[in-house]
Amino acid sequence: MTTPDIATERKPDKAALAIAAVLLLLALAIFWDTHTLELAPTYGLGPKAMPYVIACGLAALAVANAVMAWRGAFPPRESLDHRAIILILGGFAALIALIALGGGFIIATAVLFTATSAAFGRRAIHIDFGIGLVLGVAIFLLFDKLLTLALPAGPLERLL
Amino acid sequence: MDTFYALLHGLTIAAQPLNLVYALIGVLLGTAVGVLPGIGPALTVALLLPITFKLDPAGSLIMFAGIYYGGMYGGSTTSILINTPGESASMVTALEGNKMAKAGRGGPALATAAIGSFVAGTLATLGIVFLAPWLVSVAVNFGPEDYFALMCVAFITVSATFGDSPVRGLISLFIGLALGLMGIDKLTGQARLTFGVPDLLDGVEVTTLAVGLFAIGEALYVASRRHLGEEKLEPVRGSLWMTKTDWKRSFWPWIRGTLFGFPIGALPAGGAEIPTFLSYSTERKLTKHPEEFGHGAIEGVAGPEAANNASAAGTLVPLLTLGLPTSATAAMMLAGFQQYGLNPGPLLFAERPDLVWGLIASLFIANTMLLVLNLPLVGLWVRLLAIPQPWLYAGILVFATMGTVAAKPSVVELTMLVIFGVMGFLMRRFDYPVAPVVVGLILGPVAESQLRRALQISLGDPMVLLQSPMSATLLGVALLALLAPFILRGMSRFKASED
Amino acid sequence: MPLSLSRRLCRALFVPAIAALSAAALPAQAQGTMELKIIAPAAPGGGWDQTARSLQQAMIAEKLVKSAQVINVNGAGGTVGLAQFVNGAKGDGNQLLVNGFVMVGAILLNKSPVSLKQATPIARITEETQIMVVPANSPIKTAKDLAEAVKKDVAKVTFAGGSAGGVDHIMAALFVGAAGADASKVNYVAFSGGGESLAAILGGKVTAGISGVSEYEGQIKAGKLRAIGVTSEKRLPGVDVPTFKEQGVDLVLTNWRSVFAPPGLTDAQKKGLSDLIAATVKTKTWKEILKQKGWDDAYLAPDQFAAFLDKEQARVAAVMKTVGLVK
Repeated sequence: MTTPDIATERKPDKAALAIAAVLLLLALAIFWDTHTLELAPTYGLGPKAMPYVIACGLAALAVANAVMAWRGAFPPRESLDHRAIILILGGFAALIALIALGGGFIIATAVLFTATSAAFGRRAIHIDFGIGLVLGVAIFLLFDKLLTLALPAGPLERLL
Repeated sequence: MDTFYALLHGLTIAAQPLNLVYALIGVLLGTAVGVLPGIGPALTVALLLPITFKLDPAGSLIMFAGIYYGGMYGGSTTSILINTPGESASMVTALEGNKMAKAGRGGPALATAAIGSFVAGTLATLGIVFLAPWLVSVAVNFGPEDYFALMCVAFITVSATFGDSPVRGLISLFIGLALGLMGIDKLTGQARLTFGVPDLLDGVEVTTLAVGLFAIGEALYVASRRHLGEEKLEPVRGSLWMTKTDWKRSFWPWIRGTLFGFPIGALPAGGAEIPTFLSYSTERKLTKHPEEFGHGAIEGVAGPEAANNASAAGTLVPLLTLGLPTSATAAMMLAGFQQYGLNPGPLLFAERPDLVWGLIASLFIANTMLLVLNLPLVGLWVRLLAIPQPWLYAGILVFATMGTVAAKPSVVELTMLVIFGVMGFLMRRFDYPVAPVVVGLILGPVAESQLRRALQISLGDPMVLLQSPMSATLLGVALLALLAPFILRGMSRFKASED
Repeated sequence: MPLSLSRRLCRALFVPAIAALSAAALPAQAQGTMELKIIAPAAPGGGWDQTARSLQQAMIAEKLVKSAQVINVNGAGGTVGLAQFVNGAKGDGNQLLVNGFVMVGAILLNKSPVSLKQATPIARITEETQIMVVPANSPIKTAKDLAEAVKKDVAKVTFAGGSAGGVDHIMAALFVGAAGADASKVNYVAFSGGGESLAAILGGKVTAGISGVSEYEGQIKAGKLRAIGVTSEKRLPGVDVPTFKEQGVDLVLTNWRSVFAPPGLTDAQKKGLSDLIAATVKTKTWKEILKQKGWDDAYLAPDQFAAFLDKEQARVAAVMKTVGLVK
């Protein structure tokens, strides 16, 4: 293990401890879910054996992860650009909402495209939205019309 | 010698100008659809099958072969260029291939993938011609206990993707195994870890996980660090083509990849992923440049790509000799045969030799076509990386999402994709390797169901795992592979530093 | 089996009547305008997908519709597709869902929140007889031999077939029950695909294998597998295999496929769709496809199909309870 930078060295590493907690939760979820299975086959190994093995493994690894976090054995991390992450995830949220609510594939694509390029520092939102629209239309025409792949349709798609 | 003449005859049919045009159309269409992540060769063939309805049997089969190989190849291109595996079997290609592309060596990476696919496809097609009857008898005798043992061997190979912390590698692997539990238990039909959501009953789609972890995770990671100074991508650094060293370093991986891919592909439950794992870890062990692995080693592209393509040809062995469709793609091919009133099966070679040899010959043609088509395009493909970063990543995300939208446009599936993306981001930030997650998802369910089948047939007697010679041998290999590093480490404390 | 008899009656009585009716009532151009969507609640390549694509092919070739699009919504034995269909296509007279016997079991097994009752039955269209095989070198020669073996030690007789709760599994349980052994003790090994289970049978890993007739036809002809019985009422033309019934094992079962319309249709919409199917199954293209794929024409008009469906649902539910697939 490389020794972390003095400046970024955090003992204990709280974020890494949180990961250990999530892993432990996952192990507990598997235990709980497996516990609720009702049926077992008449012969051989049942559907519960493997989940229990995996849950035990995860629990053990969660402990190991916690120990590593306590010792600060994770590599140093740089600062984060939260705005970029929020923009991309916002783009995805908008895409999912648009598709779920019948906004259609093309607009959803354009929104994701614009949000991502903004996250990477572009300011020309109108131009990027236009590019996204063109891209969406091109993909839609190629795959839906030419190859009869069913893409989610909205108002724009019905015009085409 | 009859075989040889039959093949030659098939080739003369396939090489007629009109049929060559069909092959070209097939390869183009197959590549176009195949590049979409989530739309693998099976769906590609299904979508394009109606187009082939209109042709005569020979022309249709030829176009078919083109679509099949084109679809396979399209997946690797996106793996290398934009770290977005088009299908699960090209996941391994992304590991080294994308690192090469980022280092300006996308040209050689694409070239070794194309040539490796060609070499493997050609060798494997020859394998179909000469070894099919023998190989199929071995394949049929491969029982559940043997598959389980094979999975054990494959599990050992995961460590090659672990990076420098075994604990973090194992955590990744176990997350993958846990994801693999999700869905309907194959043997009892019960739902596990679905929490009452019907969309989860089919479990986690490998491509959804891979695209989320690789493509979306990477985009988030790069975006979050942009303020620290932009990473400049140079599409071409050094030669666009493979240098003499590249050829030398690719040759044996191609051959070894084929040797992994073809026989495992011929196994009814072998699949295309396992040989790519085996090939990757073998190349990593054998290479003279261990320091390059994890930073773009050409062997890590050449071997898995050859294995991937050879296994695709391998699936044709049980299909043509037994009429066994062992993959979704093979099932679609079966549908293609049935259009012409053919029933693939043990008698197909005897009853319709013309069509069988026509198909085999068209596989050769399609393979060649793909090479001829793709090599000149390599220069064009790598220029894609010259697109300004905001548009490049925006395009990648649109592209990555589009496959999922097209294959399964459900809110649950898309949400999973984004969750896996966030997971991929966090794993990069905390230095957990991402590949073992995908490996766990692929291998875990197979290992579990095969073990349980073996024990169900033996009525719970675990000795069945040692009684089959094949299984005993494979378990021995697995044990050896597991212990060897410890023994070797005891002898020399040397350890290569890794990513 | 009374079931099968009634089906035969239905076919004999109603098919010609429907044929006459639809031929009289429907000018060809009236139908040619429909822009149809056929939902296949399965991945490409499977039986339902192939059925959907075959319908599409026949409808387009015979110009019965303006356009027909196949949409795959796979998941959970088709229940994901069914749920989406029932909730999302309500009142849409331009959509059809392809499904079949397997969905009846999948709904129970997956505790699906939607049931077939919520969709509108349009027609049963095809059926495939099931077959049981043993490896060519097996000491078991007939269904009787296998029944004896089951009676002697039910655990030692392993059956290979498709997914748990599917038609193959149900058939294994029915066989064990009909042989006079405890059906809840059936040792059924579920495999992921037809190819995998066939390999296990050819390799002699299991005692017997179960599947649709066409899937094993080539192997039987080539002498690699021995067929010991088919589940039809009478011997199938061109397939020289005795039925279970004539061997004294009371086992009659077919793997049928059907089409459903969305809920909440007007009578006119319902009639439009059922007429379309009735017309499609009579076309030459469709008959040609059936021959290629080895499916049997099993057309049942909406009302008869609904009655048939009720009986099948009851039977499947009973078997699944016995085998312990549902509590």
